[in-house]
Amino acid sequence: MQYSSIFWWTILWLIFWGVAGGIITRRIYLRKDLDTSNATLGGSVIGAAFGPVGLVPLWWKSPEISRAMITLSSLVVIGIIAVAFANADPENNCVSNGSFVASQITNGLIIGIIYGLMALGLTLIFGILGIVSFAHGAFYMIGGMLVYYMVVVWFPGAHPLIGVLGACALTFALGATFERLFLTPMYDNRVERPIEYGILVTFGLSFTLTYLVAALAGFNPVKVKRFFDFPRIRLPDSSDPWLIKTSRGNMELFDTVSISNPRFVAAMLSILVLLALLYFLHRTWTGKGLRAVSQDREAAAIAGINPNRMNMLAFALGSMVAALSGAVLVQAFSWLPIVGQIPEMRSFVIVVLGGLGSLPGAFVGGILVGLVEAAGTGCVPNPQKASSYIPAYGMMILVLMLLLRPMGLFGRKFASGAHGKF
Amino acid sequence: MGIALLAFFFAFPFVYSAGNYDYIMHICIVGFFYAILASSWSMLAGYAGQFSFGHMAFMGLGAYTAALFCHYFFISPEPTGICTEFALGSNYLIIKNPIGVTSTTLTQDCLAQAMEKWDGAVTVSPMPVWLGVILGTLVGGIFGLLIGLLVLPLRAAYLALFTLGFSEILRATISAEIQITRGQAGIELPGLFENGITIAGHYFGKTDKIPPYFVMFFLLLGCLAILYWLSRSRFGLFVRALREDQDAAAALGVNTTRYKILVFVITSMMAASAGAVQAHYVTIITPNNLMILQMSLVVAMAVIAGVENFVAAAIGAILIEFTLEMLRTSFNIGGIEIDMTLWRLVFFGVVLMLTLRFARNGLLVPVINYFSRGHVAAETVVRRKQSESSEGASTAPGVQGGSS
Repeated sequence: MQYSSIFWWTILWLIFWGVAGGIITRRIYLRKDLDTSNATLGGSVIGAAFGPVGLVPLWWKSPEISRAMITLSSLVVIGIIAVAFANADPENNCVSNGSFVASQITNGLIIGIIYGLMALGLTLIFGILGIVSFAHGAFYMIGGMLVYYMVVVWFPGAHPLIGVLGACALTFALGATFERLFLTPMYDNRVERPIEYGILVTFGLSFTLTYLVAALAGFNPVKVKRFFDFPRIRLPDSSDPWLIKTSRGNMELFDTVSISNPRFVAAMLSILVLLALLYFLHRTWTGKGLRAVSQDREAAAIAGINPNRMNMLAFALGSMVAALSGAVLVQAFSWLPIVGQIPEMRSFVIVVLGGLGSLPGAFVGGILVGLVEAAGTGCVPNPQKASSYIPAYGMMILVLMLLLRPMGLFGRKFASGAHGKF
Repeated sequence: MGIALLAFFFAFPFVYSAGNYDYIMHICIVGFFYAILASSWSMLAGYAGQFSFGHMAFMGLGAYTAALFCHYFFISPEPTGICTEFALGSNYLIIKNPIGVTSTTLTQDCLAQAMEKWDGAVTVSPMPVWLGVILGTLVGGIFGLLIGLLVLPLRAAYLALFTLGFSEILRATISAEIQITRGQAGIELPGLFENGITIAGHYFGKTDKIPPYFVMFFLLLGCLAILYWLSRSRFGLFVRALREDQDAAAALGVNTTRYKILVFVITSMMAASAGAVQAHYVTIITPNNLMILQMSLVVAMAVIAGVENFVAAAIGAILIEFTLEMLRTSFNIGGIEIDMTLWRLVFFGVVLMLTLRFARNGLLVPVINYFSRGHVAAETVVRRKQSESSEGASTAPGVQGGSS
């Protein structure tokens, strides 16, 4: 960076007012006996965005902090960071090259949809069982591996979609079996601390599955060919600034944005799955039962829904969704038994950002994290450093979110059972 | 029972004399290292109920502090003129400039240039190893305090996620800042006793296993002693109250904030000191040591042995380390090569899940209870005597205490 001191001083300024705003606003709201659930997050973003100019009236008047105020201030913060960055490093690709920015944003959105799908499974499990499944990454890995084995090893020549469906069925069964065998003691107080038990036992499952696959399949990276080819299109046909042009493995929009086929197909499949899931959760009896259990366990039981059955369904469905996102991504990345770790961490970040247990939160969080990672990889001047720091960006979001607003952007403070406890 | 174990480990290096002596000793030392981590984690998770996944990060903090300290700080009687340096009495504290691993010649730092100029006329001495270990422990404690403060409002799953996040950020930072930490290549350290040591008239060389064995062993004993004292004092009671019900404990007058932070500080200092000593023993530290796999080993060791008993966790860690090493040899069944380096970890995971499901107190705790039931037996004897005398019966006191 050319004038990096500008950038770091701005960041320091933001952090200072953010911390001051977060702590003091909470104190003031506590003293005035007001609702403090938004005070830390609101205070810190307003502090970071407007500095003392925003904080003094906030402390003096102490209005109810609305969602609009938080959104506006966060946008201002992002704007300040962007302007500072652009001033500090005017020759960066992210600042000077418009088509690069458009391309990064599109790719961030596309990958964000897939992230969102995977996190949806985790948030489904959390919403109903109240545990964070540490085996989520292992299921993601198994999904991809199963597709590889079905399409390439066991039935060469089978259509990849059959492989995806097979992987879904197998992981659904695996999830259901595991839940019946290992998670049932959690429900009737047979273990002392159910949440910790759930974390540890899924952790054990993840460990076992990872090394089982490593022992069976080896540590060589495998890859599946892309599921579909794009048809060759060029629109409009002859004029020079085209709108859309595709080759078999790539698609270009407006002469600027380039999207690779595997990612595009994966995102489209994810959207289909997402719509199917939404239909299932909102229009079928079982899906409504699932949501009812996540809202209030006892009331759902009184209404004739068997919460234990729903636990099994939720864990199996959540794990299946993780496997599905692995299954559609196996064509885009090369696959190893340890490939699930980073997506697992990313799903943790997304569900914490969106609110543990919140379904729309997982989706929005996924897209946000996709964008942040795209910005992070594209804009950090030293590419080697950037690639090492990618997992850390998400983790910083997670840590910040847990400090500022543990229930996430869309989370409810009081959920049923153990879910509401932080 | 406990004394027998202690005596066994004291005598072991002198009695054992098979061909694989160095290998077995190495496993012992690594076993002690994991024992420190597992027992301090069991204090944090089992006693205080703080399910932290950042324990390995504190280990790494200790190790990296010691490593960076040894790598960048030197004492020289003459000023170099090109390095950052401070006068320390008649000597100079020299801080080397970071050059990373990207430079073509790794010896182009300012100190190397200065030494080339002096041409052997000045002897530059490195910092003492023990100072690095102490510094590492302190840094671990400071970060433990920080993390303890930050996680105060978080419970259960949120705490696990937060500490996981902390650990990942630390790992990413260490692997990204190649200039300073040399990234994935890892940073090299001097051995624990770089120039050998003479104890009781016997000289031990740099690669001898006995001195590091006893250093790690005494560190483990020290940690266990502190943990024992803590668990028997009010601290242990308060911390267990915190685990069972934080609100109720606070209502009964336990300063939950203070004890939650204290338990973080103490256990992370233990992890950091273990990390610093281990890094000096294996003479290299890489960010891979901070990976989630390492953390899962510690967690699994503590859980399989018994997470609510730190002695069980320590013994279990040593036993499991031995078992894992013994299972390393691959073998053939019917012409199929079984790669035990991976299958042993599969078994390990299965054992972890089964232990959690069917033996929630861990596998070692019942054994320890069996051997230590002497106290219970003594109490029973007294009670029986009392009941006998109150009934006026005059039978002989024939009831004996339990074994050992």
